[in-house]
Amino acid sequence: MEEKIKKEFEFTSSPHFHSKYSTGTVMWIVNLSLIPAVISGVIFFGLYQLVIIFTSIFFAILTEAIIQKILKQKITITDGSAFLTGLLLALTLPPNFSLSATAIGAVFAIAIGKQIFGGLGFNIFNPALAGRAFLQAAFPVEITTWTAPNYSVQSVSSATPLAAFKYDKVLTELKPLVVGNIGGCIGETSALAILVGGIFLIAIGIVNYRIPLAMIIGLFLFGGVFHLIDVTKFPPPSFHLFAGGFMLGAFYMATDYVTSPYTPKGMWIFGLGISLFIVIIRLFGGVPEGVMYSILLMNSFVPLINRYTIPKPFGMKE
Amino acid sequence: MKKPVSLTQEYIKGLWEINPIFKQILGMCPTLAVTVSAINGLAMGLATTFVLVFSSVIISSIRKIVPSQVRIATYILIISTFVTIVDLVMKAKFPELSKALGPFIPLIVVNCIILGRAEAFASRNNVLRSFLDALGNGSGFLIALLVLGSIREMLGTRTIFGVQVLPNQFTPWMVMILPAGAFITLGLLLGFANAFTKWQEQKNKKSVLVR
Amino acid sequence: MKKTIHIISVLTLTATISALTLASVNNWAKPLIEENAIKAISEAIFQVQPSAKSYEKIPLDELKAFEVFDENKNSIGYAVVHQGNGFQGTIKLIFGIDKNLERITSIEILEQVETPGLGSLITEENYKNQFRSLSVNPVINLIKGKSKTADNQVKAITGATISSRAVVNIVNDAIRILRKYSKEEK
Repeated sequence: MEEKIKKEFEFTSSPHFHSKYSTGTVMWIVNLSLIPAVISGVIFFGLYQLVIIFTSIFFAILTEAIIQKILKQKITITDGSAFLTGLLLALTLPPNFSLSATAIGAVFAIAIGKQIFGGLGFNIFNPALAGRAFLQAAFPVEITTWTAPNYSVQSVSSATPLAAFKYDKVLTELKPLVVGNIGGCIGETSALAILVGGIFLIAIGIVNYRIPLAMIIGLFLFGGVFHLIDVTKFPPPSFHLFAGGFMLGAFYMATDYVTSPYTPKGMWIFGLGISLFIVIIRLFGGVPEGVMYSILLMNSFVPLINRYTIPKPFGMKE
Repeated sequence: MKKPVSLTQEYIKGLWEINPIFKQILGMCPTLAVTVSAINGLAMGLATTFVLVFSSVIISSIRKIVPSQVRIATYILIISTFVTIVDLVMKAKFPELSKALGPFIPLIVVNCIILGRAEAFASRNNVLRSFLDALGNGSGFLIALLVLGSIREMLGTRTIFGVQVLPNQFTPWMVMILPAGAFITLGLLLGFANAFTKWQEQKNKKSVLVR
Repeated sequence: MKKTIHIISVLTLTATISALTLASVNNWAKPLIEENAIKAISEAIFQVQPSAKSYEKIPLDELKAFEVFDENKNSIGYAVVHQGNGFQGTIKLIFGIDKNLERITSIEILEQVETPGLGSLITEENYKNQFRSLSVNPVINLIKGKSKTADNQVKAITGATISSRAVVNIVNDAIRILRKYSKEEK
């Protein structure tokens, strides 16, 4: 009897929502939908990237298990969320990144980005991006050393399209940006591969369309305004859309259930806010790419956004 | 009426029980700002301890003559005198260190630990006890800064006090000598300190039950 | 009334004692502090002008510059302290230059708060050595990724273009001021 009650009234962390899928199923479907991005990374940067991805996932799961064991919690590594964090982190790393640094990033993502706040459902920041931000600050040189795509000789450095524009005003053509044979992070260069996975997730109802759509609209709005002000100084919005980590950020990072708003209005504000920060950082910031910082910044606004966008029940007074 | 505390206890309590950093969470500004290296932490800790001890002794010895209306003004005057002395001595004798610590030496004036001990302890206790209390709190602060500075210097530059302790294969974590590293390290240390306190309390409870 | 007198006398006494103590400490410390400042500047000058034996300040408003002399009191060039904006804050540096304002002897970074491990590499020998006998005719140029093709070029540090460019700009700016001054002299 007691067992049954325990099972029926078991306390679980958010995301709570009515869905035909359980948290575990959702996470594993998201993981599967990233396969095209992984394949694109392998095609453009070589098989070694699989080792980085494996390292990241392995240390993410290991950290989660160890911490839950120490804190005597239920070990939930099979729900795929630690796997997803590790996978997403690896996809945002530069090709041929050092394995020890990858492991440090994965440990940080799970331990500090997630478990310190109380585990899945309580974290304020997207764990994978928290790990990425730590690596960016810890290893500024390694994380901006890019390998040229298409099996070229290792350690030939190649500027990313964003850096090329920021420092030399060289605008990369649209076709390689979409396909992905450019310098950049393992899983971020191919907008096409991410779009395949992202649209699939939206189609089967796992990812809400509002945040990615709001981000794209915001990018065209804010990026477009600056492009119209000075065509030579600011790149067109289509460049913003396909360059850097925008696609991965829009479909996978910003839509994380735990760290994004749950009200429809809040989602629009969240997405537009991220795009505003992205445009500001990319155009006027000291670093070429701003997707990571923008999403982390807006993550911290989520409780506030949720609070002010909860729809009022019918008939309730102000 | 409180039980009289032993003189040793008056010193010891500052090291852990009421450690300014780990327990009172006071003086965070210099703690976070200067601890990029062990030597900086040590120098800041020593400077603060010096000011704390001398101002506590003086404040305690004149506690009966100072009218309560102007006590804060008097304390600040005394504290700032010692801070200025430290600042001048460091500029004259250790110009390198003085440059590294920058404005944080003059800012000891507004360090809450010092005014806190003056208000909470030195103005109510005799000179000997005030001296021990100030020395204890100063040592506690110094130890915390030294630990923080050593961890950050070790991970950020492979060295402690300029001596290499980690192999060359170890890539330094630049973040540790940036402000973000200070917050992360201090947060984790405070977390461990709390966990340790909890564990201690539980152990004490158990031993009481056994008895 | 008695209370007021008490308050006033306590405060006055504390302030007086404090002032007297500080005055005597300052008396002792002041010459030492000045000595430190002079030692720091002369050390820096002889570091960037190794063959110099003595120096003299040039009366310039816009920047701090020194004319340096060899053992026979012949002018051999200048040492210039100048500062400008880096990536995160002010970069202050000193460099030596020959008498005709054509080649830099050497450069030292005095103060910087650039990103550790990235912009802070401007203080490393790898970067500073590029300034050894670097031509400043007509100005120093910053190049990226390519190899040097002329002797007035400095290679930027990978990933720290802004800091590398800041140093070059500061030096160029100082030379521009110095040139104006030496023209007026003649």
